[in-house]
Formats: sequence, structure tokens, C-alpha cells
Amino acid sequence: MLFDSEKSKFETLVKAYSPELYRYAYWQCRDRFLAEDLVQETFARAWQAWDKLRDDKAAKSWLYTILRNEHARLFERKRVEIDDGQELNDIVDTASSSVYDQLEMRDALKALPASYREPLLLQVLGGFSCAEIAGMMEISEGAVMTRLTRARLALRKMPGLNAGRRMKAR
Amino acid sequence: MNCFEFRRKILASPRERTREREQHVRACAACEDLANEVERFEAGLHDAALVPVPDALAARVLLRHKVHQPARFGVLALAASLVLAVGVALQFYGGFPGEENQAAPAATRSEHQAAAAAISYVLDYEPQLLAENRAGDPGEMRQALVQLGLRLPADGVTVRYLGKCPVVPDGTGEHIVLKTALGQVTLILAPGRSFASREVVAYRDRTAIISPARAGGYILISDSQKTIRHLEKMLM
Ligand SMILES: [Zn+2]
Ligand SMILES: [Zn+2]
Repeated sequence: MLFDSEKSKFETLVKAYSPELYRYAYWQCRDRFLAEDLVQETFARAWQAWDKLRDDKAAKSWLYTILRNEHARLFERKRVEIDDGQELNDIVDTASSSVYDQLEMRDALKALPASYREPLLLQVLGGFSCAEIAGMMEISEGAVMTRLTRARLALRKMPGLNAGRRMKAR
Repeated sequence: MNCFEFRRKILASPRERTREREQHVRACAACEDLANEVERFEAGLHDAALVPVPDALAARVLLRHKVHQPARFGVLALAASLVLAVGVALQFYGGFPGEENQAAPAATRSEHQAAAAAISYVLDYEPQLLAENRAGDPGEMRQALVQLGLRLPADGVTVRYLGKCPVVPDGTGEHIVLKTALGQVTLILAPGRSFASREVVAYRDRTAIISPARAGGYILISDSQKTIRHLEKMLM
């Protein structure tokens, strides 16, 4: 039996993190209805495993991890991983000049392969560091950095891209 | 730090500010341009990532969570009675003169509580649900209807809302708001949940019929019994 203070701690977590978890869930499944289900499931599981949360500071990454696992469990069969070697520049080509239309950006995010979108959203929404993302995704920090770089290059053909290639060639 | 390293770092984690990066930007105009470009891009990316969050999401999470907690008082406790069916002596039903409201036997008390919880949910949360205008999964709704041996009438009835119902504790409930010729009716499908008996419950300013059905049960809620019976006939 848990004490009232634990319950109110749980409530605080729900209030604090359900919006960003919802958004993260949305970008995972790109479906508003499923996203809410995922958030519900995440907190249900979090509550079941409440005694495993030792460190309050870890609560946020713990919740994200539960949500990731829950999503993987539900979509395991449908999940198609795209290997890191794929040329991303051809997949998404949206932004023009420096005007970033929000809808275009959303479409571009939707079109991004899951293996790139996921670390990007963990960083943008969750504010996690590359090391933290690496821990959550169980890949190396270098791999996370590569994916994040490629995700951004894919979302926007950076003006710096060509300059970068020239510099690289030098 | 050279330009290549700088590019890789800023694209991988633009928000991170290190001394090395600052120094490089000060010395390299091309990378300074890139840093400004990335800054604007990040702002756009952040805006795009912040999709609208449905109203009262946290409240719904907590509502469902409370359903698994021991009953105390209020709406949430009423919902809890669905799970626990403990004999919380709440005399909230003052409904029909001469009908089963006088002294409900213990067996029907949990049905009354479930119906009252559902009515409270409809009164307190449904307006938000309708405002969200969210579309649930019609396939799941049809499946639940089939399981209960019901059919959704095609004529003169429109679905105003369809979603998961937090009043049904195991997450299998479907919450459907229907517009009929006689008015709005809420239909809660609870496959796999058996109610002991069929009950009519008047609570607050709504009336509910709670009934067992093939492989489960359902609850119908509206402001008049006539409207409920009208729809119920069509479901059979
Ligand atoms: Zn440079
Ligand atoms: Zn409902």
C-alpha cells in the first residue's frame, strides 16, 4: 500500500509530463488517438512499477523509456527499421529559404524514418542529452549523434551543407 | 575544433553551448552563419514538434488511475466502485418513486454505483470530450458491439464522439455519444464486464440504464428515459 505522499507525487508527475509524453507518443505513432492510449498505458505501468522508481530525478527518462517500450510492444510487428546507411537527403526536402512553415515541418517530421525521428524528438521535446538518448535507445552516443545530424540534414537542406562538403573535401 | 567537427556537433546538439564552439564561431564566419541558420531552424523544429495536447489529458490519466484506487468520495470514488464493488454506503440514488430506489439490495447496489459513476463522468467530462472532437477507432467500436450482441442503428443516428471509456476500468470500454431524433444519448460499451442485473438509475439530472448483455454489459445515459429506451430498441 502506498502512502498519500506517493500518490500526490504520482499526480505531480502526470501533470508535469503528460503533455510532453503525449507529444512524444504522437510522433512515435503519428496518431492522436493512439498517442493518448500510449500515455495512459505509460502511467498505468509507471504506477504498477512505482516502487522501482528510486530516484526522483530519473522519473522523466523512466517515463519516456516506459512509453518507448510500450510503443515497441504494440508495434513490434509493424516496425521497420531503416538502416543508418540510407541516403536521407532524398527522402525529405521541404524548407525553402529561412521560412519554416510549421505544417511543412510537421509533414517532414512525419516522413522521417523512425530511427532518426525518435532521437530527434527525445532531444527536442524531452531535452535529453546525446548520452541520455544513447542510454534510452541502447545505442552508442556516436550513433545517436550521427542520427541526429542526419535527421536535421534531411529535414532541411542546410545552406551550410554544400559549404560543409567543400570543407570536408579540403 | 575545425569546421567539420563544429558542423557535426552543432547539427547533433544545437542547444549545447561549449567554450570550444563559441571560440570557433568567433573565428569562423561560415560557421557563424551556419550557427544562426541552425538557431532559426531549431525554433521552427521545436514549434512543429509541439503538436496540440488534448484538453484535460492529465485529468483523464488521473481519472483512470483513480479507478484503480480504493474508494473514497466524489466522482472518482464512484468510478472506483466499478472495480471494487465494495459496499460503500452511498445513498445517491433518489430516482423513481416506487421503483428500486427505496432500499436497493446489496447485489444491485454496485450496478447503481456504476451507473451513477457513468452519469457523473458524462456530466463532468463529456463536454470536454465533445469539444475535442476526437475520432476513435470505429473498428474497435464495432467489435465491442458485436461482442455484446448489439448493432449500431444506421438510420437517424449519428456518432458525435467515439473514444476509450475511462469509466470502464480495464481499458476495454468504448464511449460513444450519439445524436438521435429524440436527443443525445451516451452509450458505454463494457465488453467482458458483467453486470448482475438490469437497473434504471436516476442520478443528478440524468437517467441511466445499466444492463448485462451477451459477453459484457452496457450503460445508456440520457436526460430522459424515453430517449434511452428509443435508442435501446434500435440497438437490439
Ligand atoms: Zn568553421
Ligand atoms: Zn466513457
